[in-house]
Amino acid sequence: MIQKWYDPFTAGEWAKRTFSFFNLGLLIFTVAFGASEFRFDWCEKLVGTYLLATNDLRPETGALWETGRQTSNAHKSLNRIITQREDSRRSVRNADSFYHLVESLGLGEWVTLEKENFKRLYLSLAPRIGRQLIEPSHLVWLLNGNITDRIFCEGMTDGVSLYFIDSRNRVIRQIDLKKNTIGEIQSRNAPVSGSLTEIEAFSGRIYPAEKFFEAMLKLPVEIIPELMVDPELLLKQEGTIQSVGIWNEADGGYIKLGFEFFHRGENRVLLIQAREWAVWQLSLILKGDVQ
Amino acid sequence: MKSVVRLISFFRMTFSLCLVAGSLGILGGLFLVFYVAGDLPKLPSPLSRIIETPQSLVYASTGQVLMGLGERKAVPLEMVSKNFLNAIVATEDHRFFEHHGINKLRTLKALYITLFEPGRVQGASTITQQLAKNLFFSFEQSWQRKFKEMLVALQIEAANTKEQILNAYINQIYFGAGAQGIEKASQIFFGKSSLELNLAEASLLAGLPKSPTRYNPFRYYERALKRREVVLERMVATGVISSLDAQKAAAAYPELHRGRKDARSGSYFLDALMKELIQTYGEDVVFHGGIRVYTTLDTRLQSFARDAVKQGLERLDGLMGLSSNENSLKENSLNENDSVTIDRPQGSLVAIDTGSGAIKAMVGGRDYYTSEFNRAVDSRRQAGSGFKPFVYYTAFQKLGVHPGTIMTDKPVAIKVAGAKDWEPQNFERSYRGNMILKSGLTQSVNTIAAQLVAMTGPSAVTALAKACGVKSPLENVYSVALGTPLVSPLDMAGAFCVFANLGIKHDPFLFWRVEDAFGRVLFERIVLSKKVLDPALAFQVVDMMKAVVDTGSGRSIRGLGFQGPAAGKTGTTDNYKDAWFTGFTPSLCVSVWTGFDKNKRLKSKKGTGITGGMGAAPIWADFMINAMKGEPERDFSVPNNIRFEAVDPSTGCAPEPDGPVLLVPLKTGQVICGEAVQ
Repeated sequence: MIQKWYDPFTAGEWAKRTFSFFNLGLLIFTVAFGASEFRFDWCEKLVGTYLLATNDLRPETGALWETGRQTSNAHKSLNRIITQREDSRRSVRNADSFYHLVESLGLGEWVTLEKENFKRLYLSLAPRIGRQLIEPSHLVWLLNGNITDRIFCEGMTDGVSLYFIDSRNRVIRQIDLKKNTIGEIQSRNAPVSGSLTEIEAFSGRIYPAEKFFEAMLKLPVEIIPELMVDPELLLKQEGTIQSVGIWNEADGGYIKLGFEFFHRGENRVLLIQAREWAVWQLSLILKGDVQ
Repeated sequence: MKSVVRLISFFRMTFSLCLVAGSLGILGGLFLVFYVAGDLPKLPSPLSRIIETPQSLVYASTGQVLMGLGERKAVPLEMVSKNFLNAIVATEDHRFFEHHGINKLRTLKALYITLFEPGRVQGASTITQQLAKNLFFSFEQSWQRKFKEMLVALQIEAANTKEQILNAYINQIYFGAGAQGIEKASQIFFGKSSLELNLAEASLLAGLPKSPTRYNPFRYYERALKRREVVLERMVATGVISSLDAQKAAAAYPELHRGRKDARSGSYFLDALMKELIQTYGEDVVFHGGIRVYTTLDTRLQSFARDAVKQGLERLDGLMGLSSNENSLKENSLNENDSVTIDRPQGSLVAIDTGSGAIKAMVGGRDYYTSEFNRAVDSRRQAGSGFKPFVYYTAFQKLGVHPGTIMTDKPVAIKVAGAKDWEPQNFERSYRGNMILKSGLTQSVNTIAAQLVAMTGPSAVTALAKACGVKSPLENVYSVALGTPLVSPLDMAGAFCVFANLGIKHDPFLFWRVEDAFGRVLFERIVLSKKVLDPALAFQVVDMMKAVVDTGSGRSIRGLGFQGPAAGKTGTTDNYKDAWFTGFTPSLCVSVWTGFDKNKRLKSKKGTGITGGMGAAPIWADFMINAMKGEPERDFSVPNNIRFEAVDPSTGCAPEPDGPVLLVPLKTGQVICGEAVQ
């Protein structure tokens, strides 16, 4: 081994250098540093305190916060579903016609309709139109016969389905209300601008109002109600009846009668349904075949 | 002298190096802390917020809670048995009250092993670290995750008392069997509050968090007790109990809460339910929305179904010569490598209320804990002769034939465009000549079914099956006559319900109602009936299926003791890979399938094939005997336009005096002894 110029030459010199104050101090400090950490955990405390101080600056990440977010999302989704349902329920409850009811429910939306509400909507229809939805006698049994628990309305692509369900949620009667059909039914109740002569189907069968009513009043009294199934509709109209037309074809035992009203310089036509056989009797009088 | 100098030089050098390394280490550590700290998750304050999760509840139709999702029943430390607290601390982190988040010595040891013993990862997590991991981190093993977990543990310690930390820990650890938190675990496993746990019970529970599935006492009681011994040893070693106490506790066999075990057995059903709910509402709502789900499951029927499948499969094991002692995992072994792989047949069962379509019971396999694959819903297997009722109905409808119509059981060759002729064989490889169609179905004659499909066309048969509710994709091939379409037991049960209802279809469903936490209705099931079959024709098929149970391939049901009115059809695939029985009473329709998951045949130890009548029908009978007990017995209603006439089964005409007689139901306008169908 080569002796370097800075190496001590004696053992005493070696010992002096090795156990110098600096070396001993450094050793003691290092040992104390390590031992104090094991004894007092000051390093952990220091880091813990630092992290605690910066807690608010850190992101809300990890399983726990994710769960919180999922809970929040869940509540939002549920509230959205419930709010939508409440809105639909309110609209359905406030609907003043089946048409509004159909308009209130989107595809897949559903609400429970109270029996009283259904009755109100049904009774708002002219009896003949109501009969097209469901026979009144059947409805009496369904609503007053203690078999229907609730009426469940579900929105479909082209309307709504009404389910009369019993207490075990079984469907005892289903009525499908198509948007188009309901629209058509509703529009039948409203007069349209124009004159009977503009409608081809009445051609050759348009009579002055006076002649029509004179002929009608010649009919036996039991026939007249079949000719005017919905007289309320006519009574509701403003203006005077100018002429009446008879449609050129029957549909399901009914024939349309067109009443042309004149009101404030405008002609309007209202279509109502009449029993085919009653119209046939009337036609005989109008043509003069029967006096 | 030289050696002393060399030694001193070495020590000096080493000391200097250690100092430099230590200084670098400290600097590096500080850098890491600052670097990683920005990425660490924020801690909630107070820590108790971690247990504020709303619980979604799933109810059986009979009212019991089947499952709570995300449920954490938090209890303060004072309401938890000291036995449990001592046990969990002794087992998981006996220096918990001394350290400040990290057990340094254990960590250094773990670090050494991880660094110098490749392939081994030593865990040294304290309770605080475990809490940090459970709250914020994935279970991925990496040093970054470990370091972050340590830092979060330090912060948890800095912000909370030891009691708060322990309280949070015991309220969120998972014990298995759906039990999160000590209070729920105590209720689930022992049916008592956590304050009432004795040492034997507490030490058992304290052993579970290490591996909740492996030590699940409902399934591996002995193994859980062995784990308890480890816990008790730790308790003795840490001085919280005496050896005598440990011995006494080790000798005790705590009684488990049986009711909860039964409830968990509905898991195949619950899995199917969860799948549907998640599809409808999303995971967040299902698991975190606190919803209430009212299912169709009848726990009584579910329990019968589980027992019937279990016993039926054990019987099948015996029939096949599979020893009952060879379990897939040796009972007392703690090592998963000790498993003995024995391929055993599987089974599934679905029971549907014919009046509504409500699924009352569902078993999707031999053991949910061994295999979660739901064979009742997700498995599609060939139906075999179980498909023939659809063939016969289609023939009645399209060809105007009836159960008394005569046909000939003979070799047939059906022309298939672009392929060689299809020549179906009978199961027995023999032919019986003329027979009426009722006998054709009762005896499951393949050639007659094939002739009928040749006349109606396969698409008419598959269309009918679909109309009855079979949702699996069906191919329009002639072999539909022999049941080659792949269907699930749920498909079969749902479709046969239509026959049971004489043509009225109800879609099978799993839940009646879903509400939010405040009772507001999110969904309500209404039972919509749809007429898809002619009632009279459906009755004719039902009458033939009654004969299957009374005298045909399903007669083992009568032999096993089920005497009520029932109809059904067995199904066995050509190579004995599937054995079915789907049958119904007027109120309950049940489909049972047995077979192997793998491509393997059901063969008895004598080498003969196992049919639906041998494999599945006994399970059906076992289930039905229990399910229908106490129910008023009623037969299938006969439509007004049906009359019964006696015929000779081989001529289809009025029977000879003293000759064989079969009663066949005929629809108004149908007559016996018409022309034979060729």
